[in-house]
Formats: sequence, structure tokens, C-alpha cells
Amino acid sequence: MVLVQAIIDGILVGTTYALIGIGFTLIFGVMHKLNLAFAAASIAGAFASLVAWQHFKDLPVPLVFLISAAAAGVLGYLIYLTCFRFIPLKSPLATLMATVGMLIFLEEIVTHVSDGKAQNYPGMLPDARWTLGPLDIRVDYILVFAISVAAMLLLLALLYRTRLGIATRAVAQQPVAAQLCGISLDRTNAATFVMSGVLGGLAGAMIGSSAELLSNLLPLQLTVKGLIVTVIGGLGSIPGAIVAGLLVGAVEKGVETWSVLARDLCVMLLIFVFLVAKPAGIFGKLNVRD
Amino acid sequence: MDYLYGLAQTIGVHTIIGLSAYVVLQTGQVTMAQAAFYAVGAYVSAMLTTLWGLNILIAIPVAALVAMVLAGLAGFPALRFKGLMLVVATMALGEAVREFFFNFDYQIAKGDLKVGPAGAEGFRQIRYFYERGWTTAEVAAFIWMFVIGIMALLWWMDRSRIGAVLRAVGEDELAAQSVGINLTAVKVSAFAIGGAIAGVGGALYAHYTTHVEHTAFGVLMATFAIAYPILGGLSSVFGTLIAVVFIQGLLIQWLPILIGGELRNLLFGLLILLAMNLRPRGLIDPRVARTLRGLFVRSPNA
Repeated sequence: MVLVQAIIDGILVGTTYALIGIGFTLIFGVMHKLNLAFAAASIAGAFASLVAWQHFKDLPVPLVFLISAAAAGVLGYLIYLTCFRFIPLKSPLATLMATVGMLIFLEEIVTHVSDGKAQNYPGMLPDARWTLGPLDIRVDYILVFAISVAAMLLLLALLYRTRLGIATRAVAQQPVAAQLCGISLDRTNAATFVMSGVLGGLAGAMIGSSAELLSNLLPLQLTVKGLIVTVIGGLGSIPGAIVAGLLVGAVEKGVETWSVLARDLCVMLLIFVFLVAKPAGIFGKLNVRD
Repeated sequence: MDYLYGLAQTIGVHTIIGLSAYVVLQTGQVTMAQAAFYAVGAYVSAMLTTLWGLNILIAIPVAALVAMVLAGLAGFPALRFKGLMLVVATMALGEAVREFFFNFDYQIAKGDLKVGPAGAEGFRQIRYFYERGWTTAEVAAFIWMFVIGIMALLWWMDRSRIGAVLRAVGEDELAAQSVGINLTAVKVSAFAIGGAIAGVGGALYAHYTTHVEHTAFGVLMATFAIAYPILGGLSSVFGTLIAVVFIQGLLIQWLPILIGGELRNLLFGLLILLAMNLRPRGLIDPRVARTLRGLFVRSPNA
């Protein structure tokens, strides 16, 4: 029963990993470039909302979340400007390295803001429980799940029901043809970075909120985990990122009941299993070339 | 003076780890596993000299060989992937090796002292140089002997057929394949050579610091390893050396004295951003490399 409980918790919280994975995958799908600073920007957004919360004491939690999402969106745009806009696309190593520079920069800002230790973060209904037979589910985990699913549905609506979404998918498929149809690559790419940033900021805020702590170590941890989710799900596949996020969350919490030390090792093992057995990821197309 | 010799040691070892990534990057593969081979080199060589009293000139080649074999073995499955997949696969390999050394405990009683790798505490008492009374300057000279040797080897390789093959794979795999280059063989060889070089770097590192622990071999070290050659440019081995002197010498040693340690990493990230925006193909890009070569080597047409 402990294991079932842990796996349910893992799936509920795993939706935040799914959001981070979607962010990585969205940028990769549109630009065919890796943005290593993405997870760090998400956590930096959460820290921006933390500063706001510490400054104005009685900020309601939904507003804190919105601030985090907005700040991460702005950071996403800044990353686009500094790491992608002016660097020729022919040199993939240069953009990769630039995002590493941004990662180091953001991580250092987080270290300064947090004084090098975990900070208190406002929780949503921390004590509310929902008892279901032998299971005891935290209500804030359900809220995390609901908000994540809502955000994902909103993103899918944006991608499949609006002009911006059509443009984004066109650029992802054929940048040159999209440009010939009068779509501005620059604006579409920038919009993608803002979209993924907003999702990431929301995820960052929920990760902090469900633990009621915002750790200064999160930028690096979440970068590694987000990349793992992206690869397991299949590059550029949004449904893949969602399933992989839930899977990684469930495996993590499941193994944790047995041994905390083995947790990270098991996630690494999971990725090797996928790389060997199903290298294209859950929903990825085979023969992926970068 | 000892401070400067110490700096020379750091720059030397970081140049070696940068060069180990340089070889792999030439084939267009981004590897995050160099820190793992660096760790293997450090632990294996330190165990050989400290636990079993072997000469360091035997320990270093053995360490390089072990790292090379591991890189070759890891290379076969890992190099099925490209781009992001390879970054993540090698990152996972690096973290797995680090976790291994985090849990690795093997100690031998030596006199009244227990020596050897002790899990999270790390491996202390690697006192090879101290027991033999080498001065800091002598250790620095010993390290630079290897740096110069490896640089000369790679400089020669860049000009030989091997270098041309590596670059052909890096520039366009399809074109390279269609002229009959075996992609897997080239990539795995480059990975293995890179692993051996990183192993030498790790061996030297373990002996000059005298104390290694798993935290030194994390994602940050792996990032540094690929940052040097990318910042310096993949056209010349000297690019890597210049990038190491720039980062380790200027940014990490002297900048804190000028502006205080607080702002160091902020500026570090920003400088990488600036460098990549201004010089996307590295500080020494193909054009600069050609100009420099023209200064020393008269072209046959002139």
C-alpha cells in the first residue's frame, strides 16, 4: 500500500516534470536547438515570485504563481535574444554554449537571492488531506495535477486553434516554407520561448509550493531531470513529454520508499533502458537527426 | 612563486581535460562524459601509486588505458545517438560513474593509517609527490611535459589524414559516409582517444591535489571540459589552451582580486554569452587560424 500511495503521489507531482519536459521539447521542436538554460529560467521565475512574496507579505498564492509564470516568460524571451537571435544557426555548438553561459548566470543569481540555502515558499492548503480508503492523498498534490493539466490543455488549444499555433507548427515543420508564406521566423521563435517560459515558471512555482521550500540546488537538478523526461518522451513530442514526466515522477517516488540514495541512480538506469530499447522515445519518430 | 606554479598546474590539467573533449567535438559529438573518464583516471592512478606503490610513470599509462577501454565500451551504445540524445546519454553515464565513486570504499592499512578511496569522504593521502620531495615547480614541470606532449600529438593529428577524417564526420556525416568513412569506427575511436586523454588529466589532478572526492567530477566539470574547446575554437589546439588561460587564469584567479569573488560567476556566464555572440566559432576560428598559420608557415604559392 505504501508503494501504491507513493506512485500516486509521484504521478500527481510528475505533472510538473511533464511541464518542464514540454518546455524543452517545444523549443527543440520549433528551432531544433537545445536550450539548456530553460529549467534554470523556470526556477529563476519562481525565485522572482519568492522575492515578491517576501516583499509584500500578504500576497495570495495564485498571484505568486502568476508572477512566477510572467517572470519566467520574460526570461524566456531574454534567453532567445541573448542565446539564439544573433548567433548564426549554422553553429549549433555556439548556441548550446551560450545557453550554458545563461545557465551559469541564472544559477548564480538564484544562489545570491537564496543566500545559498533553501527558502520558505507559500504552500497551497498544506494540511488538507483527502482520505480514500487506505490511501491518504494531499489536496495540494491534486491541485498541482489540476493546474498542470489545465496549462497543458491551454497550450494544446493555443497550438491547434490559433493563428500563432499554426505559425509555430509550420515553422517546426519547414522553416523555409513557413517564411515563404509570410510567417516571421523571428517572432514565432520568440513566441515559442515565451510560451515555454510561462509553462516552466508555473511548474517552478508548483514545485516550490508543494514542498513549501524553494531549493537553490533546483536549477541543475531540474535541468538534468527535464532533459531525461524529454529524451524518454521522444524529442519534439508533447504527448511523449507528458507521459515521460508522469513515469519519471512515479519511478522517483516509488524508489524513494525503498531507498533515497538509489533514487537518482534508478532514474539514470531508466534512461539507459530507453536509450537501448527504444532510442526514439515513447512517441518520437525514428531516425531523429538534429 | 609557489602560487604561480600552482596556477600552472591547474591550467595544465584543465588544458588536458579540454583537449580530451576537443577530439570528440571534432567529430561533431557533444560529450558530457569527460568528467567520468577524468574520475576514472584519478582514482585508478592514485590507487596504483598509493595502495600498491607503483611508479607514477607506470600508473599514468595504466589509468589512461582503463579510461580508454571504458570510453570505448561506453562509446558503442552511446554513439548510436546524436545531438540532444547523446548529451543526455553521456550526462547519465557521467553521473552514474560519479555515484559509483560516491559509494566506492576500498581501504588498505598502511602502517597505522588506513588509505584508499572511502566513499563520500573521498580518497585522501595521495602523497606520491610529497613522499619523494618534489617541489611545486617540479610537479608543474612534470604536468606540462604531458600537456606539451598531448598538444603536439593532437597538432600533428590535425594535419594528418586522421584529423581530416574526424573533421569530415563533424562537418557532414552523410557526405563522410558516402565517401566510405565508417562513422561508428571513427566516432568510437575519437571517444576512446578522448577518454585516454581525460584519464591522463585525472591521474595528474589526483597527484597534485593529493585528495580527490566525487564532487569534483560532476556536471560542472563535464561542462568545463566542453566549454574550453568550444570557447577557444575547434580549428586549433591552441584555442583550447587560450580559453583555459582566459577562464582559469583571468576569470577564476585574478578577477575576484579585482572585483571581489561575489560577482565572479555572474560575470563568467555573461562573458560566455558575449564570446559566443561575437565569435560563434570560437576565439580562434578558421579565419584567425589561417592567418596565424600564414605568419609561421610560408604558403607554397607565395
